[in-house]
Amino acid sequence: MDLIKGFRTTFKHVLQEPVTIQYPEQEKPFQERFKGRHELKRYDNGLEKCIGCSLCAAACPADAIWVEASENTDEERYSPGERYAKTYEINMLRCIFCGYCEDACPTEAIVLTQEHRLSFTNRRDAIYTKDMLIVPPPEGTEGSPQQVEPGKFNRPIPDMENPK
Amino acid sequence: MVTNITKTVTIYIDDVSYQVPAGANLVDAAKALGNDIPVFCYHPKMSPVGMCRMCLVELGSIEKDRATGEVVLDDKGQPKVRWFPKLQTACTTNVSDGMTVRTNTKQVDQARENVVEFLLTSHPLDCPVCDKGGECPLQNLTMEHGPGKTRMNFADKMHLDKHVPLGDLIFLDEERCIQCARCIRFQDEVAGDDVLAFHERGRSLQIITNSEPGFDSYFSGNTTDICPVGALTTADFRFGARPWELTNVPSICPQCPVGCNTSLSTRLDRDAGGRAIIKRVMPRQNEQVNEIWICDKGRFGHHFSRGADRLQIPMTGNAPASLTRALQVAADKLKAAGSDVAVIAGSSMSNEDLWALKQLANGLGSERLGAWPPTHAGADLVAQVGVGKGTNLSALGKGDAVLIIASDLEEEAPVWRLRINQARKRGAIVVVANARKTQMDEFASETATFEYGEAPKFMADIEASDLGKKLAAANNLIILTGADGLTLVESRALMQSAANFLIKTGHIGKANNGLMSAFPGSNAMGLYYMGFTPEATLDIAQKPPKVLIVAQSDLIADDPSVGEWLTKVETIISLTLFNDALAGLATVALPIQSFAERDGTFVNGERRVQRFYTAQGPIGEATPAWQVAGRIGELLGQGKVKLSAAAVMLDITKSVPAFEGARYKELAHVEPQFPMIQKDVYYGGTAYENTGGLGVQIPTAADQGETLNVGEVFVPETPKVGKGKMLIIPTQVLYNRERTFQSSELMHPRVADPYAEINSADAKRLNINNGDMVEIAIAGASAIRVRAQVDGRAPKGAVILPRHLATNAVPLTATVGSISKVGQAAVVEG
Repeated sequence: MDLIKGFRTTFKHVLQEPVTIQYPEQEKPFQERFKGRHELKRYDNGLEKCIGCSLCAAACPADAIWVEASENTDEERYSPGERYAKTYEINMLRCIFCGYCEDACPTEAIVLTQEHRLSFTNRRDAIYTKDMLIVPPPEGTEGSPQQVEPGKFNRPIPDMENPK
Repeated sequence: MVTNITKTVTIYIDDVSYQVPAGANLVDAAKALGNDIPVFCYHPKMSPVGMCRMCLVELGSIEKDRATGEVVLDDKGQPKVRWFPKLQTACTTNVSDGMTVRTNTKQVDQARENVVEFLLTSHPLDCPVCDKGGECPLQNLTMEHGPGKTRMNFADKMHLDKHVPLGDLIFLDEERCIQCARCIRFQDEVAGDDVLAFHERGRSLQIITNSEPGFDSYFSGNTTDICPVGALTTADFRFGARPWELTNVPSICPQCPVGCNTSLSTRLDRDAGGRAIIKRVMPRQNEQVNEIWICDKGRFGHHFSRGADRLQIPMTGNAPASLTRALQVAADKLKAAGSDVAVIAGSSMSNEDLWALKQLANGLGSERLGAWPPTHAGADLVAQVGVGKGTNLSALGKGDAVLIIASDLEEEAPVWRLRINQARKRGAIVVVANARKTQMDEFASETATFEYGEAPKFMADIEASDLGKKLAAANNLIILTGADGLTLVESRALMQSAANFLIKTGHIGKANNGLMSAFPGSNAMGLYYMGFTPEATLDIAQKPPKVLIVAQSDLIADDPSVGEWLTKVETIISLTLFNDALAGLATVALPIQSFAERDGTFVNGERRVQRFYTAQGPIGEATPAWQVAGRIGELLGQGKVKLSAAAVMLDITKSVPAFEGARYKELAHVEPQFPMIQKDVYYGGTAYENTGGLGVQIPTAADQGETLNVGEVFVPETPKVGKGKMLIIPTQVLYNRERTFQSSELMHPRVADPYAEINSADAKRLNINNGDMVEIAIAGASAIRVRAQVDGRAPKGAVILPRHLATNAVPLTATVGSISKVGQAAVVEG
């Protein structure tokens, strides 16, 4: 009896679709919550969301993030408000992809994408600089820095919802 | 602030009784007992105003029967407390016997929550970009006492200017300001430069500056430390780093004889090649030296330590060489010269450096040790009758006196000026005696004047005058001398006369009495204790040696007359921070490390040995000067070079009696100080905690009851000023173009264009108008072109010529020269 039961399971699986896929020719979608390589986002007008506040670096349990800030001017504006990240680096060998940086970010500038194919041939290459992390400016904008009209972008943090 | 600790009263805080000093401020008293009453506007160094209402507490007093004075008891037999009907501000309350305070009731908690909520209604949510974020009193007290949730409609927030420059150094963010007036009160009460004020009323209230140029004070940086929010930020540190990313290294300011204790906040920096660099300079609490204040030169003048003009590699004959090779060349030259060797050492070198240089020279059989610049004599007298051990300028008050003679202290030692001005406010007599009018006259309770060259005579004759009698009768007397308009001989005579007066009137050998001098540099007293004298420098100039070691002294930029004798020196070995003119002349130029890159000690003007620590990464191949001298000595067979600065200091403590008890471990000793400024930033200000040591004060000969030897006073004849000639009086200005300040670019707008002050009568005679370009000719020096300033401050017959402003060197001490107008007023300085 047990023998029949066993064969029944075997034959059932013979008729099913195989779960194995041929990576890298074929790829399976990730879970929505999967955390991979970081990206620094921009606003629709091309300005950087990152304001160089270093809270991501403070939250990072692996000490993988290095931020150096500098001052914005209306002639040369990188991000809204007075402060922007002059240097922004993540050491991908140190990063444990926990996503605390994403949680700590007050402007939703740093986002962990689904990109997981990270490989380096030396340690230096594992340090991703700001140029590598920041997304390209949206089409039709000049990106950063840009010259803006004075007094328009003086709030570093986007407006929040009023208390109910 | 300094409370009388001999008398105590009983107070009750949260139903526990305590003994506290009578008359103490309630916030201070509670703080000492471990009960932190939150404050924003109150600061222990300033008088209370009760503006922010954060310190509200329940206050009462034990009821006493008016007729009998007996304590009234309630039904339960407990003393009856008469409570104020409403909450009271603790900061405006002084403790008295039977005072009852409650800080932990629901009503108090509610009041604190409401005050924080109210302050936050117009405070922006800037914390991520705010320089104060992380060490912010408002942030911390909001976390502790705040409501946690907002009821504010964001559209109703005040939107104000976030970038208002108050002068070149300090920026105001109007949104962040909570109008506590700490900055205004600091400038008025502590600094004595009343340049900030409130403008408008109510919701429009803002801080403004009412001086031209804006925020014209040498102490402006301190306002950013005591600001309880991020409203005031410095141009130097704006967005430099977050406070939690910084490493605070204890250090000593290398700019003047006050020896302010500082913290160098360092961080690794990509632009500096990944080295640790100084991001900001903060004061470090030392109540005996600088309290919690520093001047702007100390705060913003750190850039020279990594300036582009630093000498990075050793040079021999103007060509780069390896350190081993350069040291060998130096050793060979010294060996060939035998004992015909001399050393000139700068006044901002550490004791370890000076000791090693002395060992090197002595090992070769030379005792010729010169101090640079040779302007101020009499360090030996400060060692004999200097201010007594335990002196604290904050202890001076009613019945005490300070005589400031021949010194523009505001320019020479700003923090001493600040502290002496506070003593005056407490009731001390401050007499300013000088041949010219200076800024110091504003901070004097009395002024006295004399002709140029007459300062030693004035001091010698003071005893008979009314002023002298007044000074002699003071409980405590400090004489603070300078060398304004004096030659080195006159400077010695002045110091001797001052010492004699102090000895005669018995103002020696005890705390808060004695002699001080506004010596140049941060370690002029160290030079004396190590055997370097200005007199020896003049002797070296008279009889130039075969080989001259010049250490950390910018001879050529300081003195136009060095050219005459420097050419007679066969070999110059230059130990230098900078790739300067002298390094170009030198046979061997060896790069040395600045105060920021190594360990060491300075002796300040009050003879306190203080220790500084390594903060910054090394520059090029620079090594500490003690190591350079030690390694040359090693090549000459003088014994092994020491392994660390601490080992050199250990050597000094064994050989120089004055340094007994000044080993590194002892210098690092710290004790609790009042006000108690620890990690809680809201009470005293940002990060002043002293973990690096309070230093050790060297006792004077008078302190130890040794025999004193002032020496015979030689009052020289006043130099004869020939017809058509004028007295040229070189003076010191704080902001100048010295190499140790020039790299601080943010200070450039504050450095005056080269100028000379002349009297209006002389100006009229010579047909010079205010603002004219004039040329000052002095024998043996190239002509100096400056702009004339006819402002009634210079006495007749004298030209006040600040040093280190013009490109050409200005003489070190008073001399005779002529002044003439150049072309038209429109000529632009070349």
